[in-house]
Amino acid sequence: MATRGLRKSYGSRLALDGLDLSVPSGVVYGFLGPNGAGKTTTMRLLTGLLHPDAGSIELLGQPFRRGDRRRLFEVGALVESPSFYPYLSGRQNLRALAAAGASVSAGRIDELLELVGLRERAKDKVSGYSLGMKQRLGIAGALLSDPKLLLLDEPANGLDPAGIVAMRETLRRLAAAGKTVFVSSHLLAEVQVLADVIGIIAAGRLVREGSLEALLTDQGVVRVRVGREQADATRAALDGIAPEIAVAGGGVEVWLTVHVEPSRAAEVNRRLAEAGIYASGLEAGTDLEPLFLELTGGGASAEGTMQGIAR
Amino acid sequence: MRIFVSGLRKLVGRPASFVSVGLLVGLLGLIIIASATVAQRSESPNAGARALALVTFPGAYDLILSFMLGFGGLVAVIYGAAIAGSEWGWGTLKNAVARGESRTRYVLGTFAAIVVMVAAGLALTFVLGVGIALVGASLAGVSTAGLTDADTLARLPALAARGWFSVVEQAALGFAIATLARSQLAGIGAGIAFYFGEGFASIFLPDIIKYMPFSVARAAVDTGATGGGIGGGGLTQALAPDTALLLVAAWLVGSLVVAVGFTERAEITG
Ligand SMILES: Nc1ncnc2c1ncn2[C@@H]1O[C@H](COP(=O)(O)OP(=O)(O)OP(=O)(O)O)[C@@H](O)[C@H]1O
Ligand SMILES: [Mg+2]
Repeated sequence: MATRGLRKSYGSRLALDGLDLSVPSGVVYGFLGPNGAGKTTTMRLLTGLLHPDAGSIELLGQPFRRGDRRRLFEVGALVESPSFYPYLSGRQNLRALAAAGASVSAGRIDELLELVGLRERAKDKVSGYSLGMKQRLGIAGALLSDPKLLLLDEPANGLDPAGIVAMRETLRRLAAAGKTVFVSSHLLAEVQVLADVIGIIAAGRLVREGSLEALLTDQGVVRVRVGREQADATRAALDGIAPEIAVAGGGVEVWLTVHVEPSRAAEVNRRLAEAGIYASGLEAGTDLEPLFLELTGGGASAEGTMQGIAR
Repeated sequence: MRIFVSGLRKLVGRPASFVSVGLLVGLLGLIIIASATVAQRSESPNAGARALALVTFPGAYDLILSFMLGFGGLVAVIYGAAIAGSEWGWGTLKNAVARGESRTRYVLGTFAAIVVMVAAGLALTFVLGVGIALVGASLAGVSTAGLTDADTLARLPALAARGWFSVVEQAALGFAIATLARSQLAGIGAGIAFYFGEGFASIFLPDIIKYMPFSVARAAVDTGATGGGIGGGGLTQALAPDTALLLVAAWLVGSLVVAVGFTERAEITG
């Protein structure tokens, strides 16, 4: 799936300003951006609900234009909040959904109700469902026709921790089976544990795209806490390991931030030991969260928040 | 076809369907029972006789049909608007489009289901109405021999077809209005306003209003087939029934073209 120079305005409000996405097949792609960045707008364009003002879309390697609605037979989507007939049951709603678009194999609905944990409540009216239950039903709806490309707009909304874990496993399994999963979120932490590739969008433009691994390596840091009087000695001991070493903190102790892959923490520790310096703290992680905030215009005030995935 | 069958299944389970028929039957029953009671107790022989005529067959058929096709038109506008509007409000149209369904086919399939539901609703109202009228006749103590009046029964099928068609047209109008409004509530409100607005305007502009959708729907069923003025009086300016029927068809097609055209071009958000 790919987009080229995608532009879309609602009246005079520009929502997408030349979006270029490249989503390889068979991966989970985390589409990350703050509120109002244009994630839902992108999803609407990808599902033919809206048509772009400019630019082009490629779905499953083929151009997707007005009139190419059949391409969507191989796409499953949950755009914004899930939508249902409140007076029908969960199962009846999936049946109604199955009547539109691509055909649905027999037994698929029961299979999906089981998968999302709604089998017991399948006969109840959707108006009596909780937020998370509707979300689960929405995810089941997106999976209905066993799509090759799955588009999920903030699927974790309202899900409990067990539901989030189950969804994550399902999406990973789909990607492992060769399907492409495109998931939007405004939570970095959520995407970090799920995605292979990340795209960060802000104000309708892509600001960073790449594999999670590459981003983590790029943004990797090892931080060392030492007494203020040892700051210079520490800096000298670590000389050459990274192009730049920043010192922060004005108390009795300071933090030195070394921009290296988190996996090199041991090497940093060894160098300190060889120089006879004993750090009172050593952390390995990434600067992804500050980077995300910075890229998306949240300001650099969060400098120092450590994202602890590699800790 | 899949959309139509699914649309039918959705409408059968829908509260609005029961409420519509319930409203028609309930009000009709109220009128019949009230007439029967008046006929029985009235001191004024004049009023008594008039009330009696309402529950005596074949005259009772007139009451039932004129009520069904008159008030039924208003119910149909609301019903059509509720169904089209909720597709936008609930976001279920979005679901279908995102699955690659044709917008035109979805709209027409949904409306085709309404056409069948209107037929079923009218038939049910008629049967229940006749049943209540029989009860009313026995309450008033009149013979029900006119029930099988051959003349009236022979005219019923043609009138039923015309009535169905004109009620369907009114449902289509509500359907189109709510599609333009993209909302159930706004659609129903605008539909009701249109219905009464047209009736009101006909007092001042009868020559123009007689071509308008609700007036032609009323004129199309006013064939005098049952000898009574279906749709009530005030139709001195009305078109001939067959001309009206053509215009009913035109309004029906026009409404559907508007609904389809708007949906095809619409940007679906929300
Ligand atoms: N229906 C609409 N009418 C007008 N403007 C809209 C509409 N939907 C979105 N917008 C505008 O388009 C921009 C992008 O909105 P969009 O919903 O795509 O953001 P998002 O990334 O999904 O945000 P969130 O994380 O809050 O869901 C915003 O400025 C928003 O105000
Ligand atoms: Mg959104």
